[in-house]
Amino acid sequence: MDRPSENFTLALKYKRTLGPVVGAFLTGLRDGRLVGIKTAEGRVLCPPLEYDPANGQRTGELVDLPDNGTVESWSWVSEPQRKHPLERPFAFATIRIDGADSALVHAVDAGSRDVMAAGLRVKAQYAEERTGRMRDLECFVPIA
Amino acid sequence: MADILDLPRDVAIVAFSQVPSVAQETRTEAQMLVESINGVLEQSGIDRREIGFTVSGSCDYLTGATFTFVQMLEATAAWPPISESHVEADGAWAFYEGWVRLLHGDIDSVLVYASGKSSLGNQQEVMSLWLDPYYLETLGVDMFSYAGLQAQAVLNAGKGKESEWAEIAGRSRRDALSNPNAQVRGEVDPAELLREDYLRGPLRPHACPPVSDSAAAMLITTAEKAAKLGVEPVYVRGIDHRADPHYFGVRDLSVSESARIAGEKAAAKAGFGPGDVDVAELAAMYPHEEQILVDALGLGDGVRLNPSGGALAANPVMVTGLLRIGEAYNAIRSGSARRALAHAQSGPCLQQNLVCLLEGGNG
Amino acid sequence: MAEQQAPVVMMEEIVSLEYTTLATDVGIRFMDCLIEGRIIGHKSKQSGLVYVPPKGYCLMTGSPTTADDEVEVSDHGVVTGFTIIEPIQYPGQEETERYVQAQVLLDGASSALGLCRIQDIPFEEVRAGLRVKAVWRPPEDRQQTIVDSWGGRAISSCIQHWVPSGEPDADPASIAKNMY
Repeated sequence: MDRPSENFTLALKYKRTLGPVVGAFLTGLRDGRLVGIKTAEGRVLCPPLEYDPANGQRTGELVDLPDNGTVESWSWVSEPQRKHPLERPFAFATIRIDGADSALVHAVDAGSRDVMAAGLRVKAQYAEERTGRMRDLECFVPIA
Repeated sequence: MADILDLPRDVAIVAFSQVPSVAQETRTEAQMLVESINGVLEQSGIDRREIGFTVSGSCDYLTGATFTFVQMLEATAAWPPISESHVEADGAWAFYEGWVRLLHGDIDSVLVYASGKSSLGNQQEVMSLWLDPYYLETLGVDMFSYAGLQAQAVLNAGKGKESEWAEIAGRSRRDALSNPNAQVRGEVDPAELLREDYLRGPLRPHACPPVSDSAAAMLITTAEKAAKLGVEPVYVRGIDHRADPHYFGVRDLSVSESARIAGEKAAAKAGFGPGDVDVAELAAMYPHEEQILVDALGLGDGVRLNPSGGALAANPVMVTGLLRIGEAYNAIRSGSARRALAHAQSGPCLQQNLVCLLEGGNG
Repeated sequence: MAEQQAPVVMMEEIVSLEYTTLATDVGIRFMDCLIEGRIIGHKSKQSGLVYVPPKGYCLMTGSPTTADDEVEVSDHGVVTGFTIIEPIQYPGQEETERYVQAQVLLDGASSALGLCRIQDIPFEEVRAGLRVKAVWRPPEDRQQTIVDSWGGRAISSCIQHWVPSGEPDADPASIAKNMY
């Protein structure tokens, strides 16, 4: 006999304030551009953080960055789940945007796992409708 | 090595009890805890009213219920009211709080317990919720995906191979054969494991932890109290925990600075280091995490890794770390180790690491 | 053009997770008895306390209880506390009229049942000490449900509400040493 069970969904709605750093990055995504931030040592973090993870110091000037980057690591998703950003097989990847010293975590629409490699050059592809969220950046695609 | 830091008193583990890890437990968490807690009371002979402080670890997100730690307190028979605390974290961090509490000097015994039933939710999605809600969680990065990013970083750095991961998984399942509390066990051919399809490339199912339900309890006391109880103490010689930055895009994922530092700090208290132990119980949920930790802690060939089977053989979230401390204690009590290391982790991609160095009473 | 929009300062998100609640052995037994029109509990050998619904352990001694400790309790009891609710019309609210929710200590039990709806009595006459009895739903209407820690949903799936039994009020001292 099957043990009786019941399913339920827990849904919680949150409103989050973004502050001047995360807000600037998401404003950039809405406007179709990538934004980084400079640390006191002159390193560039993308996405920008309020502090330098190396020493905890406050970060400074926001800088515009290009849409191109290089894949560092990746994880291939052959069967996308309901919360994933793409419905077809894709990779989550750490991507170093040109001009940045840290990596951005996002999806790469590479078509096949075999395409993924450290050093793969990719370019940001933006969603048509953008509201100031991570998913305004639909994914990255390999540069042909 | 730095000079040994003097601790104000010796703290020892004197009893440990767990319920077997299973894919789906049909009792409530409180029922599992009743069994675990009564287990340590019987082993140590302590009267529950003598216990100076009680501290637990669990997470409401696993079962989707609210303030479940209050309900779980029923398992302690908290009447007359007891002094207690709770961490929304692995029981290893409850253990840490209990250890700190004993150093205060006004009490002589602490009950630590933890429970988790991951089987009732979607663990992949639940474990996505401890990611920052701006850049990561809203992308839907699930637990296997962020582990896969770290696994690939280990491959890229030449610090591990998929064939080695299959060997580690095979060793875990073989060791689990002699652990009645483990969940995934058996003799397997690593070559066979490598024929599995990827779950999240480069991770195949055998290189990922099972979904497990379990509970465990532990009694820690001062050395004087252990003597009064007449039980054999296993001393907590050193313990420390450290965290890396949260956003894994700013980290070199192929190394663990926080584990390395935690190991050094624990060694400075203990007077011996991670490389000096006979057994290490690592809360490595994936083989590549074991490789990173072995590297960060400097565990040589003389250190026996995860004789219990480790987290690849049973991974009851919120209990896994406390189980490592308990299994390290068991290794010393059974005589298979004189000194042992226990490790626990929290956060994505080994973000936070706890290292605990234990030594037998004759050490 | 896009640059003319205001900066993004807020983010909204719905975190949604799916769960399963699984019946426990103790809960299944309690539910099966309710469907038959009987209310059971576990009587702790150590403390003598009777828990309704049974939990599989004693809260006062920490000792486990099992089917061997099962006892049947009455469907008559005494109100130990109550509240009169004015339903606010939030989304999902099904109540529209004032009603009374009470805790009822059943005869033979040591722990009170929560969320018992009291009817057939003017609001101003509801009081602690009032004797009440269960009005069971017809057997064909009784629904299997998962028994949570307090048993509220299981009880209300088999018992429609509670009404005054006409017995004299309980002596407050008789309900003092129980658990609410």
